[in-house]
Amino acid sequence: MEEAEVKDRPEQTIRDFPRWIAARRKFSPDSPFFSAGNLERELQAKQVSLDITEEEKLAISRLEEEESLRLRCPIAGCGAILKSLSDLESHYTVRHTATCSVCSRVFPTTRLLNLHVSERHDSFFKAKVARNYPMYECLVETCALRFRSDSQRLQHLVDKHHFPKTFRFHTKKHLSQKQRRRQKQNVYKQPQAIQQLPKAESSHTLSKGTRASVDRSDPQETENRTQTSENISEDTATMDVDVLTKAVSKLSTQDNTPSNISFGRRRNRACTLPLKSPHKMTLAKEVDKKMNDST
Amino acid sequence: MEGNFGAQHQHRPSNKSPVGNQAGQRRRQQAVQIGKERREAVVRAKRLRRGDEIQNGEFTGSHDFHMEGDVSGTRDLEEKTLKAVQGLKEAAGATGKDAPRKKIEALRQVRGLLSSNASPPLSVAVQAGVVPVLVDCLAFGSSEEQLLEAAWSLTNIASGEHDLTRAVLPALPMLISHLGDKSSVAVAEQCAWAIGNVAGEGEEMRDILLSQGVLRPLARLMTSSSPSLARTASWAMSNLIKGPSPRAASDLMKTEGMPQVLVGQMMKGDDELLVELAWVMVYLTSMSDAHSGILVSVGLLTVLVNKLATSDSSALLTPILRCLGNIVAGDNAKTDAVLTAGGDVPGGIVGALARCLDMGHRNMQKEAAWAVSNIAAGSMLHKRMVFQGGAIPSLLHLLATAAFDVRKEAAYALGNVCVAPKAKGKEVEPIVEHLTVLVDRGCIPGFLALVKSPDMEAARLGLQFLELVMRGLPGGQGPKVVEKEDGIAAMEVLQFHENDELRLMANALIDKYFGEDYGLEEEYGSDVVDMMRNSEESSEYPPWRQGGVVHG
Repeated sequence: MEEAEVKDRPEQTIRDFPRWIAARRKFSPDSPFFSAGNLERELQAKQVSLDITEEEKLAISRLEEEESLRLRCPIAGCGAILKSLSDLESHYTVRHTATCSVCSRVFPTTRLLNLHVSERHDSFFKAKVARNYPMYECLVETCALRFRSDSQRLQHLVDKHHFPKTFRFHTKKHLSQKQRRRQKQNVYKQPQAIQQLPKAESSHTLSKGTRASVDRSDPQETENRTQTSENISEDTATMDVDVLTKAVSKLSTQDNTPSNISFGRRRNRACTLPLKSPHKMTLAKEVDKKMNDST
Repeated sequence: MEGNFGAQHQHRPSNKSPVGNQAGQRRRQQAVQIGKERREAVVRAKRLRRGDEIQNGEFTGSHDFHMEGDVSGTRDLEEKTLKAVQGLKEAAGATGKDAPRKKIEALRQVRGLLSSNASPPLSVAVQAGVVPVLVDCLAFGSSEEQLLEAAWSLTNIASGEHDLTRAVLPALPMLISHLGDKSSVAVAEQCAWAIGNVAGEGEEMRDILLSQGVLRPLARLMTSSSPSLARTASWAMSNLIKGPSPRAASDLMKTEGMPQVLVGQMMKGDDELLVELAWVMVYLTSMSDAHSGILVSVGLLTVLVNKLATSDSSALLTPILRCLGNIVAGDNAKTDAVLTAGGDVPGGIVGALARCLDMGHRNMQKEAAWAVSNIAAGSMLHKRMVFQGGAIPSLLHLLATAAFDVRKEAAYALGNVCVAPKAKGKEVEPIVEHLTVLVDRGCIPGFLALVKSPDMEAARLGLQFLELVMRGLPGGQGPKVVEKEDGIAAMEVLQFHENDELRLMANALIDKYFGEDYGLEEEYGSDVVDMMRNSEESSEYPPWRQGGVVHG
């Protein structure tokens, strides 16, 4: 079984974090650790006899340093070789800082950012997942496989691409204390419609809950508003959609009468009851329509 | 004398560089291209003799001066050299009462051309067959002047690249014999210089020299009363013993009375001689702990510690620092000895090392921090002495501001100070007192910078320190301070690192210290957290629907 295989591979899990142990470090005289000091010794000794200019000194020191650093970009899949630390820093900034405009998470490639945005901030993605489409793409660019769930994809990453079992593409967004405080404040500042819905982050009672039932805002609009206001975690955003969808769908039948009733054993002979509230019906239909359009 | 090889001085605006503003500035200002040969000539351990340098940098004894970049001048020089070698060959074969003088003239002519500029026509001379003639001129009984001129030319030939140095092989036996006590100081020195260049070529050459018996006579010269001779012989010896083979170093140490004599020489010699002797000590102390032990027992530490605390010369401080670094990389007993020796200077060894940390000299900072890190890897007493000895502020400053390689060493030192010595069979414990102080003094951003660096060793180090902080800081403060400095973001970046271990380490830390419920208990109270937990178990109803009054 694949599951068992994974467990048997000890290198995939970190049993014990390798803690800091204070140990002496010794270097042999020809170790690159000492090369800068050795170079300086020679420069000093031969400055006069070889007529070494200051510029040459700097050039040589820089060359020696570049050689000892041999910088490679460590981001998985990149492998770019850089000539200096400052080059590496610019490379990072240019190539590996794709930031999500919704939740401010940073990704090392545009592709991963796009995957993140679809998987976390897109209700249509969720809808398709709900309809059992394999939406979760393998994170490895060259692999074209897709999966029906995040955990399935993770299993694939672990099995085929040797990712660690503890790898998480969708870690919880860990906001800093400042961000969380700001988010809390924003929650109070925003219009009522949204206030009701975030996951327990606001303190609202049942009474406020009922107010939501007469809210007329289009769930799509609400979601947009949620998205543009920064500092709300993506979990809140998706939760909003979930909650809204559920809430609105519950509201579509005001009197909770099932739309299809069947009596007795002949189950296929159902009759459709007319819904009492045409307005709510429209709303529900709109939501349904939009969901259908996305497929 | 012009040293301008067409270098252009360009002024570019200084850009911010991760390695410190000044370093970045310097890098961008120079636009000189260094030829491979030129760079080699500077970097290798061989030394050309130009002449006797007088005050303003001008040389005496230089024949003609030609700029290196001057092509016609080079050709001119080469032609002259060919002629001179030819002339030498003729003069060497000549007889008659004037012959010796003419021979010296010819030798001087050749030597002048071979020391005329920074890149003399060495290969031209060798191809013209000068070496066998020079070897002949080294014959026993030759006049001092003749020996000197011949040895000088050979020295410069041996200072070139591999093939040139090898060309001098036939001269070795004679050069070695002129190291003897019957030779004049000038001749002995010149021969030692030539031998030093040959030794600087590589292991193979060193082995040949050793088998021809170079060690003892050269060692004797290191103690000469002539400062210049002692200096040159010591430099040559450092080339001979640098390894990687430990044979020469061992042979030297085994030579009777050598350790005491050398240390004695260090105590009374002038600073220039001390530099070369210190380099010999560098190689001896790095070869084996046994050597270090013997040298310590004959009083090496007194010299080292004293000079470390008082000298301002980076040329001297570099090998001294490295010696001490090598010694404290040994074991606790060695560190004890060093700390004891430090008792003679105000501030002790830690104070002296801190002085080096503050000197603004990148390489010294790095090696001093390395030495401190090795002291801090010792016993509790050692750690306490580092902590109280004034090194911490300097190390913290370096961690925040210095060049990358220096920051890494400072990190090692700071971290080592915060963990207790590993007791057998037990887990390593943090030293809470030290850790708390370091965190209060703002060391976390520095470690986070290491986590974010492309160097895997540094990233690993950073993560290990963060783990130490989060585990060791009392009252659960650790995760909070790490979070405050944006530590979570730094660790999250590592989740995309290509190295498995780093990914796992980062994940482990985030999972353990910043798991699902992190922070929420504190902010919202446990009943909300419970509610949330319940809701996450795919409840049909959103939390706000589940009832219960929540006060925020």
